[in-house]
Amino acid sequence: MEAPEFGRFSDPAILILASLAGGEKHGYAMMEDIKATAGVTLGAGTLYGALSRLEQNTLIKALPADERRRPYRLTPQGAVFLRQYLTSLEKFVSLGLKRLAA
Amino acid sequence: MIFQKIRPWLTRLYPRAWRERYGAEFDALLEQCLHSPLDVVDVFLGALDAHLQLWAGENVNWRMMNMVNKLRTTILLVFTAFIGFVIAGFGLVGLADDSPMIPLMQTNTPLAVSWYMIHAGAIVAFLTVVIGGLPLVLTVIRKAFTTNRRNLALLLVPVISLLVILAYVGFIFLVWTGRIVLPGVVQVVQPGFFPVGNRWLMEGLMLVFILGAAASTWAVWKAITATDTQRETFHIPARTLTVDIYRFAFVPAVIASVSMLVMLISTLVWGWISFTALPQVFFGNFGPWLTNTQIWYFGILVLMFLCTLMAFIGLARGHKAGITA
Repeated sequence: MEAPEFGRFSDPAILILASLAGGEKHGYAMMEDIKATAGVTLGAGTLYGALSRLEQNTLIKALPADERRRPYRLTPQGAVFLRQYLTSLEKFVSLGLKRLAA
Repeated sequence: MIFQKIRPWLTRLYPRAWRERYGAEFDALLEQCLHSPLDVVDVFLGALDAHLQLWAGENVNWRMMNMVNKLRTTILLVFTAFIGFVIAGFGLVGLADDSPMIPLMQTNTPLAVSWYMIHAGAIVAFLTVVIGGLPLVLTVIRKAFTTNRRNLALLLVPVISLLVILAYVGFIFLVWTGRIVLPGVVQVVQPGFFPVGNRWLMEGLMLVFILGAAASTWAVWKAITATDTQRETFHIPARTLTVDIYRFAFVPAVIASVSMLVMLISTLVWGWISFTALPQVFFGNFGPWLTNTQIWYFGILVLMFLCTLMAFIGLARGHKAGITA
C-alpha cells in the first residue's frame, strides 16, 4: 500500500524542526534523518526554502560553518513551537483513533 | 554526472542576496543530493520561491545578512586601502628624507602646510582604523579562542610578519655596526654614491615589508570573513557594551577614507610645489638609495590614488548597508 499524503502534516518546516530536535545537523544530515525517520525525501530547494523561513522566524539558528557545510540547531522558540504543534497533532491523532475504534 | 555539471548554474538561479547567505552551503548540499531531473525541478521551484519572496518585498533575513556582508566588505576594503597607504607613506618619507625638499619646507609655507596635512591625515586615518577596528579585532580574537580555532593560525600571520620585519631590521643594524660583514656593503655611505650591496639590503627590507603587509592583510581579511558574528558584548569595568561591530566601524571607515583623500591631494600639492621650485630634483636621482625621483613620486601617487579609489568604492558599496544593517 502506498503511503498516504498527509498534507500540511508533512510540512518540510515541521520535519526539519523535528529532525533538529534530535541535535544540530547540516542540510544533508537533515535530509538523511528525515528520510530515515519520516520516510519523506526532501529536495534541496524545498529544504532551503523551509530553512530560510525557519531562520527568519528564529525557530532555528545557523551555527559557524564547518568547511562549506553549515549546521543548524533548534532555538528555544523553535522547541516551544514544535512542542505546541506536536501536542495539537497528538490530540488530533487520539481523536481520530477513538473515532475509528468506536 | 550531467546534473553535477549544471550544479553551478542551478545555484545561480537564486537571487544574489540569497546566494550571499546560503550559496556555499547550498552548493555543498547539491554536490551530495543532485541525482535526478526531479531534484533539478525542486531547485528550480526553490529559486522561484526565493525570487517571489524578494519581489513581494518580504523582509527576509538573508536580505539583511547580505547587508551585513556588504558592510563587512566595505570595512575590509577600507582597511586594505589603509595598509596600501601605509606602504605609500613610507615611500614618501623615504623620498623626502635627506632630499633638498626638506630645507625648502623651512622657507616655503605652502610646501610645509601640505607636508603637515599629509602627517595630519595619516594620524587621523590611523586613529580611526584603530578605533573602528578595535571591537572587530577583539571579536575575531575572542571567537578564535572559543569557537573558530582555525582563525588562530591566520591571526599568527601578522605577528610572524612583524617578527620577520624586526629580524631583518636587526640584521641591517648588525651589518651597519660591522658585526656582520657582507661583500659589497659598506658601513658609511658617501654622499652621491650608494653601493649596489647597500641598495639590495634596503630593497630587501622594502620587499619584506610589502610581503608582510600583504600577507597580514590577506590573513586578517580571511579571519574576519570566517567569523560569523555581527554583534558582540564587551564587559568593561562597571559597564556592559553590546556593539554592532560592522556598523560601529562604518563612520570611522568614512573618516579614514576622507583622510586618505586629503593625503592624496596634499601629496599632489606637495609634489607640485616641490618640483616647481626645484625642477632639477624632479628629474634627478633623489629617491631612496639615489633612485629616480620621478619614478618614486609617481609610483607613490598611483598607489595612493588606487587605495583612495578602493576605499570610496567600498564606501559606495556599503553606504546603504551602513545605514540599514
